[in-house]
Amino acid sequence: MSEKACRIELQGSIAWLRLPGSAQLSRRSFLEMVRRQLDCLAAHDDVRGVLVCGQGGTFCTVGSDGPLTPPEAARLAGFGQSVLFSLEALGKPVVAALSGEITGLGLELALACSFAVAESSARFGFPEISQGRLPAFGGTQRLARLVGRSVAKQMLFSGELIPADEALRVRLVNRLFAPAVLEQEALALLQRICTRSPLALRVGAEMVEAGYDIDLKTACLLERDAFALCFASRDQKEGMDSFLDKREPQFSGD
Amino acid sequence: MPYKKMRIETRKRVGYLILDGGSRFNKLSVTAIRELKRAFTQLEAADEVGCIVLSGWPGESFAVGADIGQMRSFTPLEGLQFSELGQSLFEQMERCTKPIVGALNGITMGGGFDLALACDIRIASDKALIAHPGARLGIITGFCGTQKLPRLVGKSRAREIFLTCDSYGAAEALQMGLVDRLVAADQYWADVITLAERIATMPSRSLTWAKQLINLAEDTNLQSGCLAEQAAAALCGSEYLGTSKSVCG
Repeated sequence: MSEKACRIELQGSIAWLRLPGSAQLSRRSFLEMVRRQLDCLAAHDDVRGVLVCGQGGTFCTVGSDGPLTPPEAARLAGFGQSVLFSLEALGKPVVAALSGEITGLGLELALACSFAVAESSARFGFPEISQGRLPAFGGTQRLARLVGRSVAKQMLFSGELIPADEALRVRLVNRLFAPAVLEQEALALLQRICTRSPLALRVGAEMVEAGYDIDLKTACLLERDAFALCFASRDQKEGMDSFLDKREPQFSGD
Repeated sequence: MPYKKMRIETRKRVGYLILDGGSRFNKLSVTAIRELKRAFTQLEAADEVGCIVLSGWPGESFAVGADIGQMRSFTPLEGLQFSELGQSLFEQMERCTKPIVGALNGITMGGGFDLALACDIRIASDKALIAHPGARLGIITGFCGTQKLPRLVGKSRAREIFLTCDSYGAAEALQMGLVDRLVAADQYWADVITLAERIATMPSRSLTWAKQLINLAEDTNLQSGCLAEQAAAALCGSEYLGTSKSVCG
């Protein structure tokens, strides 16, 4: 399979990462492709934010890896987890724009983004349980932390797809848009984000992640040190100067 | 010693701590934070107070962050000290044995948002406008917001709030779980008073334990939390026996 199935398109400082909507890649090939694209996005400082979306009204479809032995399955899970960890730790805001049915690996990938928006007709779920399969790329853990244990169990046990308004209510997605305007609304949202300080965006997202699974007091201590470090940056001077001068900031990210 | 940035009024067992710095926005300057610490110490010690209301009512703002002009020239060490001061206020509010109702009457931004997060309950007027615009200023918050907000509204919504720096109206704040109640402006203060006076009539020992047990639930495994709950039950039970109050009607 060629990498052409997964494209990066640059639009100013924003990169669209278009997943192969209908190409039937194996999960391993798909994940290897995503990893290469992430390496590329991480290396380009001029890319300030990433918009992950599908093609042709489908967010992401992957095929089968064929029969796997238990060690092969564990290796695949470990590899996929490392790819999605690097997505989570990209250091740039990543917004997922979701359309169609977002299931399996596609939903696991969306869960590793900064947050997701979706078209109002989208549906979400992990139907693979009917074939005895569970999310293996961090999906069970990210889902439970985001929507709570009860909703997560309901989704995993039943394999049912939930509609978009339900996904909004349980916090799986942050905003819904009409299908025709999904991509332009997601772009506008990310463009607004990308006018902010890249350094503050990165540190803020890292703090949310780093402090979530530890006790609040220790987490606040981490935050205190990260806050102090902001005052050694150009972004802080530019942010506050421009605020006081009532002009738009020009952040450099350092 | 009188307060410059706020005033305290006590009526019917409710202590109203009203932020009023004399300007449009109630800024969380070093002076304001020190005064807040002193005010909470005073209210905690006051036997006639059973519940505390923190608000900027009837002003335009609840509270906003620090003075940007002052913060502009902070060194990293000064940033650290400022964060320490703010975090010590929020810890004091969490440890305070009396319930603190945050009455978000209007603009609630940055450090003011974090002040609201340190309250036990948030009740918003439909004039409330909430934002965390640190990334617009080239900073993150140092007042526990990056930690408390994800725990309150989930990581994805917290990231959206921090990344976009957008302002959210009261209805959206209610839907996200940022605030617990929303009241129309003309009815607002009357409802705040009703809620606070109701809480203030409850047995103070039970209020203290309820607050501490819920705060404990945040970071404790279930078994340890349940053990603390048993201890609370024993202590509250002995209080009922001692005062011959009937718990069964």
